[in-house]
Amino acid sequence: MTNRTMTRRDFGSKVITVSAAAAAASLAAPAVLGAAKARVVVIGGGAGGGTVARYVAKGSDDIAVTLINDSPTYSTCFFSNLYLGGFRSFESISHSYDTLAADYGIEVVIDRAAGLDGNGRTVTLANGDTLNYDKAVVAPGIDFKFDAIEGYGPDAVETMPHAWQAGAQAKNLKRQLLDMEDGGTFVICPPPNPFRCPPGPYERISMVAHYFKSYKPHSKIVVLDAKNKFSKQKLFEDGWARHFPDMIEWLPLDITGGVKAVDVASNTIITDDEKFQASVANVVPPQKAGQIAQDAGLADESGWCPIVPETLASLQVPNVHLVGDAIIPGDMPKSGFSANSQAKVCAQAILAELASKQAFKPRFRNTCWSLITTDDSIKVGANYEATEEKIAKIEGFVSQADESDEVRAQTAAEARAWYDAITADIFG
Amino acid sequence: MAALKGSVLRPFAVLLFVCQIEAQAEDLYAYGEYLSGECLTCHRLDESAGQIPAIFGWPEDKFVEILAMYKHGARENAAMRNVAASLGDEEMAALARYFASQTPKESAQ
Ligand SMILES: Cc1cc2nc3c(=O)[nH]c(=O)nc-3n(C[C@H](O)[C@H](O)[C@H](O)COP(=O)(O)OP(=O)(O)OC[C@H]3O[C@@H](n4cnc5c(N)ncnc54)[C@H](O)[C@@H]3O)c2cc1C
Ligand code: HEC
Repeated sequence: MTNRTMTRRDFGSKVITVSAAAAAASLAAPAVLGAAKARVVVIGGGAGGGTVARYVAKGSDDIAVTLINDSPTYSTCFFSNLYLGGFRSFESISHSYDTLAADYGIEVVIDRAAGLDGNGRTVTLANGDTLNYDKAVVAPGIDFKFDAIEGYGPDAVETMPHAWQAGAQAKNLKRQLLDMEDGGTFVICPPPNPFRCPPGPYERISMVAHYFKSYKPHSKIVVLDAKNKFSKQKLFEDGWARHFPDMIEWLPLDITGGVKAVDVASNTIITDDEKFQASVANVVPPQKAGQIAQDAGLADESGWCPIVPETLASLQVPNVHLVGDAIIPGDMPKSGFSANSQAKVCAQAILAELASKQAFKPRFRNTCWSLITTDDSIKVGANYEATEEKIAKIEGFVSQADESDEVRAQTAAEARAWYDAITADIFG
Repeated sequence: MAALKGSVLRPFAVLLFVCQIEAQAEDLYAYGEYLSGECLTCHRLDESAGQIPAIFGWPEDKFVEILAMYKHGARENAAMRNVAASLGDEEMAALARYFASQTPKESAQ
């Protein structure tokens, strides 16, 4: 066996000590030395925050973990497109925190975190309660730049849903698609980079096309993109041509000049020179880190949060870590897979500091599957490492255009298995 | 705020690669446990398998052999090949050690 022939040096090269950091943390966090347990408070119980909470809780009995989420159930954005396409029930993409509470001893608080004070190391809840922490993890996902498109403020989301946070928004869009007459026009406006889930809009287009093909075959899809190219573009375009000929019109930024305004009353989307009247409008506005991250001073002028790649520690506020869509992720895309991967690196850094656990060289990975139609799925993925300046890509792969139907069907089945695994990894 | 960069907020800047620790069984297991986190995004630790098989309970040498097949292209799945590409001999040995010791019952936790 390889391990028997391993020298100390070989193995040691994979291990890093955190003694200096742990010492610094003990000064900052007296709870570690005393009888009281160290306290970790996680804001946001999604792909990132749920995973951090679970991995910290299972990694040490000496840390009290509190997980704050603003809703008692979490519906995943991943596979929400499949819900729109009629492949998944809403229940099958919704998860509770019961197992995290019952089996991992995590204190689950259902409320909105209203503020975080980095100096006092406290989190204040909307109900007025205050929680102390030794380490806070902020994983709120995204919020929207509601000043970017004229007329598209918070009030517009009921009529023209973004459905870029799951739950009520996804249900809203689904209802509108169900109510639409055959022969209608679905207008979708994918956002500029960087945004949550780069292939997401194009998987959504595929899923809506799949639904139209079966139930509303005279309908059209118009895509008013804020970009000139997109993730897995050749593969999606090839799939659209094969499965949904003449249904989808993709208009890049260079052609339309981008979405400038919307008129909610008439369900109209306005570009430089044209107006698009939609039967169903799906406007996905430009994005930024979740509001709590902005309010707590964790985001920089880009609207996203800078981090230390090896630990996911904030570069702006001490004793705070960040994972998921809210961070500046270097070469990683904003995905549930990435958030889950970052969360494990973050959990190990916290366990090293608060519970003196061994820490190993950080490793990151992402894989994103996208469904084009029932049994035709494509995937893209890569490995990443922490360098001094960012999370940097090492090597990756992407599906090929000439793959057999059998391979595509296997990829679709693989995505379903992945969904089961990652949600078990997040929620226990 | 930028002044903080490089000081307290960069704990890993003061981290050293430890060479004095013994490469003992616990270390290998602990390393395998850490690495296993990245497998569990795709592989469930229970019997339900589907298109992504369960991977606990294999003999260690067999497990390493399979990982090497992905790494060297004898098995083709692109996602799993990308995973294997990132694994060296120590990583494979550590993962084999960790997963060999897992059973579905324990893993329900
Ligand atoms: C249509 C679509 C398809 C996608 N498909 C995929 C896919 O196939 N694969 C993939 O890997 N990713 C996919 N994604 C991306 C994935 O959903 C996100 O990248 C992921 O959810 C990010 O995780 P997070 O933890 O950063 O944020 P989230 O998962 O959004 O979790 C944040 C949580 O924090 C809560 N919260 C926010 N602020 C507060 C507060 N102040 N107090 C309390 N709670 C708060 C939120 O309500 C939420 O529950 C998709 C996204 C979309 C929109
Ligand atoms: C991105 C998803 C993904 C990740 C992450 C992943 N795997 Fe896999 N793994 C797969 C898929 C898909 C297969 C089935 C491939 C095939 O059909 O050959 C597989 C197959 C395997 C097999 C073969 C099992 C058998 O019964 O033949 C082993 C062993 C394995 N993986 C180990 C690992 C280990 C160890 C890790 C973590 C270092 C890991 N995998 C991470 C997706 C993944």
